[in-house]
Amino acid sequence: MSLNTMASIIEGRRSQPHQLIEVLQDVQEQQGYISEDSMRVISKDLGVPPMEVFRVASFYKAFSLKPRGKNVITVCMGTACHVRGAKLIINQAVGQLKVQPGEVTEDGLFTIDQVNCLGACALGPVVTENGKCHNHMNSSKLRKLIKSLKNTGTEETAND
Amino acid sequence: MLQYINLKIDGVNIRAAKGTTVLDAAFEYGICIPNLCHVPNLSNIGACRICIVEQIVNGRSKVTTSCTLLVQEGMIIKSNTDKIRNLRRNIAELLVAQAPNSKAIQDIAVRCGVKKVRYPFRNEKCVLCGRCVRACTELFRAKAIGFVGRGKNRHIDSPFGVLSEFCKRCGACIDLCPMTITPCSGPMKPGKERLCGECESQLYLSDKTPDHCVWCELGKGFQCGRY
Repeated sequence: MSLNTMASIIEGRRSQPHQLIEVLQDVQEQQGYISEDSMRVISKDLGVPPMEVFRVASFYKAFSLKPRGKNVITVCMGTACHVRGAKLIINQAVGQLKVQPGEVTEDGLFTIDQVNCLGACALGPVVTENGKCHNHMNSSKLRKLIKSLKNTGTEETAND
Repeated sequence: MLQYINLKIDGVNIRAAKGTTVLDAAFEYGICIPNLCHVPNLSNIGACRICIVEQIVNGRSKVTTSCTLLVQEGMIIKSNTDKIRNLRRNIAELLVAQAPNSKAIQDIAVRCGVKKVRYPFRNEKCVLCGRCVRACTELFRAKAIGFVGRGKNRHIDSPFGVLSEFCKRCGACIDLCPMTITPCSGPMKPGKERLCGECESQLYLSDKTPDHCVWCELGKGFQCGRY
């Protein structure tokens, strides 16, 4: 899949080094992470040294160099959320999905992420799922959320 | 045609070509400003902060790195005031705590008057001065190594962690690295890091004799005259 999508992303931006970040953003969006192979392709087609691509991709937090799950569950670890028990939420998530934060589950569906503040401190503890915000999180709500995400994931694969 | 600019560094009237940095202008007139990340003919990034000076603007003083400060007409620079010496000593103290296992950094610490290190020794292998990166990209046009990551994870690496095919094996990165020369008494054992300070006695010359550059007396392997 990657070669075709890579070609469509890079199409029209060849030999334009200043497009590096835009291309990396598109790759991140389409593949969920930036692989070494795609970085090599980008460096060749944009005319940017591989070091430059790697430096930029590793610098910004928006780019992930490791594969990520289909659903990214982000737990806020900011002060307000911490006080209201974000630690328990992350322990729950780790226990339910059986992965450490930053890693992918075996079925490739979930990644747990930690952030320092989502800016919704009054609604804490806050958990976002693929950019969608869930406020006042507790363990039963989290379990429901993971269950519903699992169901939609299996339905989609069944439809494919 | 070269345009010249008049400025004052430590009370000395200096005439420097437009576009040179304050650090280079000071060296030309024999004013010794300690420095680590500066390499002649390479771009300056102001990474080590050792070369800080005080710039007087409208009667107020501003502390900046002299390697990234370009000369301007009528500029007044002070490189050896009490304030600068204190700040510089603290920076050198942090550097020597980060990487005590280097002659260059031990020398800088002695030169900047560090008597005691108040921070825990980290014994890192790199101080992120960026000398190797700039030599690789600018001098040899290879771009085989560079900075990776950011914040406390920032480190020097080759792309994807394997030796780049662009590497010419010139060894310039190793040659310019301040960490390649171990202290005179040999590499320090883990847990036994200390401030060397054996050359401290030579410092008194700099206090007594105004024009005496202690820097060049210290650290024969790594000194301002080396490059």
